[in-house]
Amino acid sequence: MEEDLKTSAKGQILSIRDLPTLPKVLDEVSRLVQNPNTSIEAIAKVIARDQVLSAKVLKMVNSPVYGFPGRISSIQHSLVLLGFNVIRGVIISTSVFDIMSSTMVGLWEHSVGCALATGLVARQAKLKDPEEYSVCGLLHDLGKVVAAVQLPELHKAVGEAVRTQDLRWFEAEKAVLGFGHDRINAWLADHWHLPPTIKEAMSSHHHPERAQRYPQHAAAAHVGDFIVRVFEYGNGGDDQAVPLSPQALKILGISLSDLDVVLDGFAENLSEVSGVTFGPEDAVPGKG
Amino acid sequence: MSLKLFHRQQRGILLSPDPELAALFLGLWDNQEVEWTVITQGRRAMEVIFNEPPDILIVDNRLDDMPSAEVAGIVKSENVYRQLPVILCLDQRDMQDEWNWNEIEADDFLVRPFTGREAKERVHLTLCRASRAMDANPLTKLPGNTSIIQRIQDLIDRQDDFALAYCDLDYFKSFNDKYGFSRGDEVLMMTARVIVNIIRGFTGRRTFVGHVGGDDFVFIVPADIAEEACQRVVAAFDDIVPHFYDSDDREAGGIISTDRQGEVRTFPLMAVSIAVVFNTDGRLKHFGEASAIAMGLKKKAKENPKSCYVLDRRTE
Repeated sequence: MEEDLKTSAKGQILSIRDLPTLPKVLDEVSRLVQNPNTSIEAIAKVIARDQVLSAKVLKMVNSPVYGFPGRISSIQHSLVLLGFNVIRGVIISTSVFDIMSSTMVGLWEHSVGCALATGLVARQAKLKDPEEYSVCGLLHDLGKVVAAVQLPELHKAVGEAVRTQDLRWFEAEKAVLGFGHDRINAWLADHWHLPPTIKEAMSSHHHPERAQRYPQHAAAAHVGDFIVRVFEYGNGGDDQAVPLSPQALKILGISLSDLDVVLDGFAENLSEVSGVTFGPEDAVPGKG
Repeated sequence: MSLKLFHRQQRGILLSPDPELAALFLGLWDNQEVEWTVITQGRRAMEVIFNEPPDILIVDNRLDDMPSAEVAGIVKSENVYRQLPVILCLDQRDMQDEWNWNEIEADDFLVRPFTGREAKERVHLTLCRASRAMDANPLTKLPGNTSIIQRIQDLIDRQDDFALAYCDLDYFKSFNDKYGFSRGDEVLMMTARVIVNIIRGFTGRRTFVGHVGGDDFVFIVPADIAEEACQRVVAAFDDIVPHFYDSDDREAGGIISTDRQGEVRTFPLMAVSIAVVFNTDGRLKHFGEASAIAMGLKKKAKENPKSCYVLDRRTE
């Protein structure tokens, strides 16, 4: 029974055709791509603030059509390789969520916050290509977005369970679906030929100690997720703190005082991303 | 009215026993545009086709000695003639059964009755499509040598000012040796995308990108943006190429391998070398001059193991 649900849910998840996003960033990028003289850097900067648009360009550039699946993990590189016409096509074909629920806005803020935090963690740990870690943080909860679109009834039931049983979203998913968004993330990453580093972060950010090949990416996203929850910025679906895996710091080779530095850095830089409002002008970007 | 679709006179062969059809085709074009040879029997035509392959072959299914599909099959089964476009000319009764286009490698067909206009446009479309497909690099689908040479010679003939850049990759061979051909192809696909998108990024300018073959690429831009184009290609390539190595080689900054003599050799990460020749004031007379100068410059560019570009200052 459970296996049946998993198989049908996986089919549903992977058949996703349209990943909608929130209007604010989409409007901004749409405006940018109307002018063919806009620099790739300017477009990349905006796209990197939206988990859905970022996922879309990474999915496209890593598709076998382009001939180098699983190689590209940076938004900037993706845009250079896709070119202006393709980017414009991706933007034009992106729709917005019909129902702008506050949970969606919260999830976007949570993801952008996690991208910032994960990037800072990588810098503090002196890891190569900190931008790649930011992408890991940005996409760590993508499975939640896809589930909301493709499995709306089950998604609602998970939300119910979070409220009534005081569970974490991840626990509620397991109770309702039998699997979590980490599993959904792994399906998506495989199906879309995303680089193995990003896949590892998406599928193992709850358990970095179980990461197979790229534990640093999983650990950085894990710590990023922890930090953004400490600051209660955005909303990952529940309002509970995640326990910090002691293994994660060990994997990254950072100490608790390093973590303090990252927390300070996050507080300083938060205004940069929190200036990104996701809701309609008049709505208060809510904590759902 | 008359568009110039082709750079030179096209030669066509029509295989048909039908004098009406022959008259129609002969009347459709000026002899300067398309010159037709009409042959009424299939068998006799084979030798002519093989000796002097035309630009297009029309085969009437009313041939009494062989079916049109067989003619197409014979021509297309030889690799040297595969590119020759073939249009079948059919009757309504030929349309009663399904055609297996996997086996019959025709490029298009006409069904009687058709107008002269229709036949003419079909032939034009087929010729243009064939010239596009024929020269494209099979990996990157960028225009290949024939188109590159033609483009350069056209620009020279028109005495247009332009900059011609030859790009190739340093240490591509050692990458291929270690990682294999398919990983090498990934790098070539990436390089093609980088060059194409950066050159197209100069919107509103006349530009061209071609793939000579292997790790050799060409781009043509107006002289005033050549240096900036080189800088952008170098920067983007250097930024992206490390991601095509396994993480240990990336960390090490290159490939370390032991050769057959047991000697340890180090190959840095791949780099792009660009040599740029300028044609100003109608200085160049022939394509060969441009490529000869470029080859000389490339040697200079290659002396630098890092990505770099060399501009031909004499011609600038």
